[in-house]
Amino acid sequence: MKIADLYGRQLLSTEVPTELLQTAKGLTVRSAMKAEGNWVICNRCGSARPKSACALPGGVYYCAECIQLGRVSTTLSLISASEPNKFKKYDNDVLTWDGNLSDIQAQCSKNILTVFQQRKQHLLWAVTGAGKTEMLFEGLDWALGQGLRVAVASPRIDVCNELFPRFVEAFKNTEIQLLHGRNDSPYKYCQFTVCTTHQLLRFYEAFDVLIIDEVDAFPFAQNEGLLYAAKHAKKREGALLFLTATPGESLLKQIKTGRLGISYLPLRYHGHLLPTIKCKTTPSWKLKLKKEKLPNSLIFQIKLRLKKKIRFLLFVPHVEQLKQVQQILHKQLPGEKIVTVHAADEKRIEKVQMMRQNEINFLITTTILERGVTFPGIDVFVLGADDDVFSSAALVQIAGRVGRKIDRPTGDVIFWCGGYSKNVLEAIKQIRYVNRKGLILLKQRSTSDD
Amino acid sequence: MTKNDCVLCHRPVNFSIGLIDLMLPVKINEPTCCDRCCRRFELINQKQACPDCGRKMKKRELCHDCVKWNSQSSLDFKNSACFVYNDEMKKFMQQYKFAGDYQLAKVFRAQFMKKIKKSKIDLIVPIPIDADTMVTRGFNQVVGLTTGQHLTSALEVRADIHKARQSSKNRRSRMETVQPFRLVNPELVANKRVLILDDVYTTGRTIRHAAALMYEAGASEVQGNTLAR
Ligand SMILES: [Zn+2]
Ligand SMILES: [Zn+2]
Ligand SMILES: [Zn+2]
Repeated sequence: MKIADLYGRQLLSTEVPTELLQTAKGLTVRSAMKAEGNWVICNRCGSARPKSACALPGGVYYCAECIQLGRVSTTLSLISASEPNKFKKYDNDVLTWDGNLSDIQAQCSKNILTVFQQRKQHLLWAVTGAGKTEMLFEGLDWALGQGLRVAVASPRIDVCNELFPRFVEAFKNTEIQLLHGRNDSPYKYCQFTVCTTHQLLRFYEAFDVLIIDEVDAFPFAQNEGLLYAAKHAKKREGALLFLTATPGESLLKQIKTGRLGISYLPLRYHGHLLPTIKCKTTPSWKLKLKKEKLPNSLIFQIKLRLKKKIRFLLFVPHVEQLKQVQQILHKQLPGEKIVTVHAADEKRIEKVQMMRQNEINFLITTTILERGVTFPGIDVFVLGADDDVFSSAALVQIAGRVGRKIDRPTGDVIFWCGGYSKNVLEAIKQIRYVNRKGLILLKQRSTSDD
Repeated sequence: MTKNDCVLCHRPVNFSIGLIDLMLPVKINEPTCCDRCCRRFELINQKQACPDCGRKMKKRELCHDCVKWNSQSSLDFKNSACFVYNDEMKKFMQQYKFAGDYQLAKVFRAQFMKKIKKSKIDLIVPIPIDADTMVTRGFNQVVGLTTGQHLTSALEVRADIHKARQSSKNRRSRMETVQPFRLVNPELVANKRVLILDDVYTTGRTIRHAAALMYEAGASEVQGNTLAR
């Protein structure tokens, strides 16, 4: 290990070789946890627990919250070296991407550049399918050219895996590393990091520009920890940009209190509004399912799609229900190839591929396909949308699968629910809210075109 | 985390009380593990287990491993186990022992102690861990599963064995046949009925080494009890 491996990092005293600890100059040593009355607070992840819930024998306390990164305890320290921004100067272009942005995207891209330049804390509420990654390029181009250290983090590994090659392609002359729990490549000191938000806990005042993508992917409680991680991983004066299609309560609270600025991108890259959610209440759908029946209206809609050759996704809350629904549809749709998929499905990738390549007309799925995966021109049905597994963010993401294609920028999103749950109502509300903003933007554009 | 969150999945336990809590004559006011998580662990019914090692069987009969043990040695040793060492238990051990999440011991402590109290014995001896592991882990995972007061630390890991184990893998497998422990107070063991505790019974080699040492020191009877088999 070299001193450079500690630039902007915070490692446990047990992770740093003794020799380096003794010889390196300019190391900061902070206690890893602090006790306050009956509570112990972790200085790495910020979580607090009563002493009785985190004791080791012998009056030592530990943090169970961030234990997967190596156990923090009251006997250990966090070791850092301050970030010197020792990066190579660019001889060539920083940005090697030659795509184009739409007018709305270009406007948003300029806003992002300003957020970075003025080191602001900001939330960009961009609808699903707005093309937000491309809108980061201009700002990143500037930051990297200035010799700033940047990171893009997401709570989800699959999002990181998807983003990484796109950044590598767009910034060919920059060294970029990908860090997450399932990636074995060792840490190296470099200018651009793509990582999970969990990995941010290993950084300390490192980034001049920190971007958190899909910040809504986890519920409120975990968001608090995420905010803590983001705050400490960036430099005190660093810029912080959150990207989301469905801001949760904790972010909206920060906006209300003025700690976070906000801008909207309420239109999709093709300039259309989000499809709205239609709801059908069928209080007895669960009972019906047990009796091997589906709501008539659902069967009607399915047959209609097959006839019109419109492909679709059918979401169900739980894995067990996949088979039940599949069996019922087998009887209803003789000769139709009916495929189900879920998170732990071994053939998950092949099945998604079958849907991509038009080999099947629809897929029955659990919430795994709620984000990231795009099939052009589909409709979306959700059976049991009021089930607890569907957060409002997940429902908005599910609705966002529809209308991704320029040839078919609209489509149907239909929910079947036992009743209107809080999450269903919230999802409908959020979509209405951004669509109102989208309409205003569309009007402005049409008047300025005249 | 609030007091009523499941220590395994961190979801609130609320109204569903853990399976384990229901089976125990203890206070129900602080469940540690939710129903969902508890169901993933498989209790071993003693009527359907190997009488020598405690492994889950279709009926009470010797398992394949124990038939082999009996043909190799005449050691009079019987082990009993609470749970099947299934994937969920492996995950639990990974988190508890190797990640060092000590508080997880709460999940099984009462169950494990109940089993111990049923045994007719004079002395309870936990399998020890070596000094280096003790420093990094901060606890002995076997002791952690008990309420502690009745334990006799009669065993320790031989320092030379520990060094040998840290060397190559090949060497490590050869070392498995060598006695890894030594008795701290042999006089404590003489003429006593001893119960040896361990977290997991896998090959049986470790706990049998400990048992052999007890007999050498004059123990009148030696049994074993493990959380998993
Ligand atoms: Zn922590
Ligand atoms: Zn649980
Ligand atoms: Zn056996």
